[in-house]
Amino acid sequence: METSTLLGLYRDMWLIRAFEQGLEREFEKGNVPGMLHTGLGQEATQAALAWHLEATDAFFPDHRCHGINALAQHRHGGNGERIMAELFGKSTGVCGGKGGSLHSADPAVGNFGDNAVEGSYMATVLGVALAAKMRGRPNVACAIIGDGTVGRGEFHESLNMAAIWDLPVLYACVNNGYAISMPVGDGHASADIVDMVQGYGFESRQLDGNDIVEAWTVVGEAVEHIRSGAGPYFLEFKTWRWQGIFAGEFRPEAEVKYWKEERDPIMLAGEALAGRGVDGADLDAIEKEAAGLIDEWIAFAIESPEPDPAKATADVYVGWEVDPR
Amino acid sequence: MTAADTAAPKRTARTPRKPRDRVRKASFTQALNNALDLAMSKHAEMFVIGEDIAEMGGDFGVTKGLLAKYGPERVRDTPLSEAAIIGTCAGAAMVGMRPVAEIMFADFIAECYDQVVNNVAKMHYMFDGQFKAPLVIRTACGGGFGGGPHHSQSVEGWFLNVPGIVIVAPSNPVDAKGLLLASIDSDDPVLFLEHKALYRSRAEVPPEYYTTPLGQAAIAREGSDVTVVAAMRMVPMALEAAEQAAADSGISVEVVDLRTIRPYDAATVLAAAAKTGRVVVANEAPRIGGLGAELSARISEECFADLKGPVVRVDGLDTPIPFSVPLEDVVLPGTQDIAAAINAAAQY
Repeated sequence: METSTLLGLYRDMWLIRAFEQGLEREFEKGNVPGMLHTGLGQEATQAALAWHLEATDAFFPDHRCHGINALAQHRHGGNGERIMAELFGKSTGVCGGKGGSLHSADPAVGNFGDNAVEGSYMATVLGVALAAKMRGRPNVACAIIGDGTVGRGEFHESLNMAAIWDLPVLYACVNNGYAISMPVGDGHASADIVDMVQGYGFESRQLDGNDIVEAWTVVGEAVEHIRSGAGPYFLEFKTWRWQGIFAGEFRPEAEVKYWKEERDPIMLAGEALAGRGVDGADLDAIEKEAAGLIDEWIAFAIESPEPDPAKATADVYVGWEVDPR
Repeated sequence: MTAADTAAPKRTARTPRKPRDRVRKASFTQALNNALDLAMSKHAEMFVIGEDIAEMGGDFGVTKGLLAKYGPERVRDTPLSEAAIIGTCAGAAMVGMRPVAEIMFADFIAECYDQVVNNVAKMHYMFDGQFKAPLVIRTACGGGFGGGPHHSQSVEGWFLNVPGIVIVAPSNPVDAKGLLLASIDSDDPVLFLEHKALYRSRAEVPPEYYTTPLGQAAIAREGSDVTVVAAMRMVPMALEAAEQAAADSGISVEVVDLRTIRPYDAATVLAAAAKTGRVVVANEAPRIGGLGAELSARISEECFADLKGPVVRVDGLDTPIPFSVPLEDVVLPGTQDIAAAINAAAQY
């Protein structure tokens, strides 16, 4: 990997972290309605995926994917602040405030939206992939899922159908160790999801989701494989989420300490860059630049108007108006 | 006269053949099959997908012959994966294709209920109009043939409370073709209900392409004393009951065929209700929370001053559907139930 690429990914990861930390602050202040699930600790996985997916591809983000949503919006649309505004429920958001954190979409940048019944888009991704295949386009349809999703029926229906039809699907399974509170090994036949996937007969691989160099390299190979028409690819990113559960932290102190202090993907990338001779001041500047950008996005979201009440009854149907009573 | 005519061999059978219908009557199944064929010719990006729909032509033969004409890419067999079938349609529709899914029996929709309710029906709304879901879910519903608890249900009630979905429910072959073509043209997701008891019904179906507008009810029979609002199989039953009422008691019955159950044609329903002031609503599904409940409430609210008596509901009992045909007869409403309801409404 070129140092310039690693620097770019370092910048992307800081953007994700600053986004999520800024969001947490605003959530505490009561400015962000609803629920909050952050992708803190999973920045390398998200940055690697965002890097390789083009605006003409399609990805279905999960509930911790504000970061990849923001990166796609920033890179392909030049308006990352619209993801922030969506999370504030504002009219300037990508869905005009109707989707929020769990349903942010903008097909112009390849974001096909989360369906908050997590994992149900494992079925939807098949159709986007089938359309690409029938139209002869080299597009990738990517479903970003958590380990908890592996228990859902759609997971297996999807893998089976992608296999028999050889569809251009990238399954990005973010194994952060827990489905809300249930450890991955307690909820599934194997704590290593790839072991369960083998039977479907297509390419699958487990990787270190906190090592940006490995993640970037492997995602690149998988995307290349899919674009060449060689069929689906399943990736399992081993990672860990910083956020606990609503009740607080439930995981052993040593585990928390290990992942936050020794396995922080941004810290590891910073060390790699320092090893390549990049100046510490340059790395600090990247961090500050990300924080500054996110402050601007938050200000944009706060200053944006609430949606017009008439929007509440708009777009239920294409062909009918709903009676506002 | 042509040479071929003069060369035709003379019939030797003793009984002469009945004169052929000018337009050959088509069955409900054939009308649907013809609609799919015409739609696939019209929409290059339409495909049909479901279990055993390709070579086999579907459990009821609705997709027969499409594989030979359009090939396996556009006529696609699937494993028993209803959620993946609807998900595939939803994803393809998101990028502008026009999929038509067959869910073999409406009861099996429970397997993909999440896809329909949380994904397909809400997609246009929750993503602020950025996606459309122009897909059609065809499915065989209804009882009356000893299909038992998992092959007989009327599922419209499961979806009545779901904004975003269109529920289309034809009662005859002519409407079945026109409504299916309109459903495929529609940019909204359509649940297209095919009552199994209607598959063999026949009518003169125009062979050309035509559409029957969604969201518009039809006056299947004009009358002045009692209005019956019905859908699907309840429509021919209501028409039969209306004839009986006219013959037996001189009651003049108007029958409204809903055709689209959601969003339904309130203007036509309310006008027909107000016209007679005596109303029967008939559907096959269980009473509580069903179509009859909605229609009855709406008519009572909006036509209160015109009503001469309470709206009378004819519907299925609040039970699952038993296998035994005599037991099924107890549970499901029939022509005599509608006839009794007409009399009750007329005599109130």
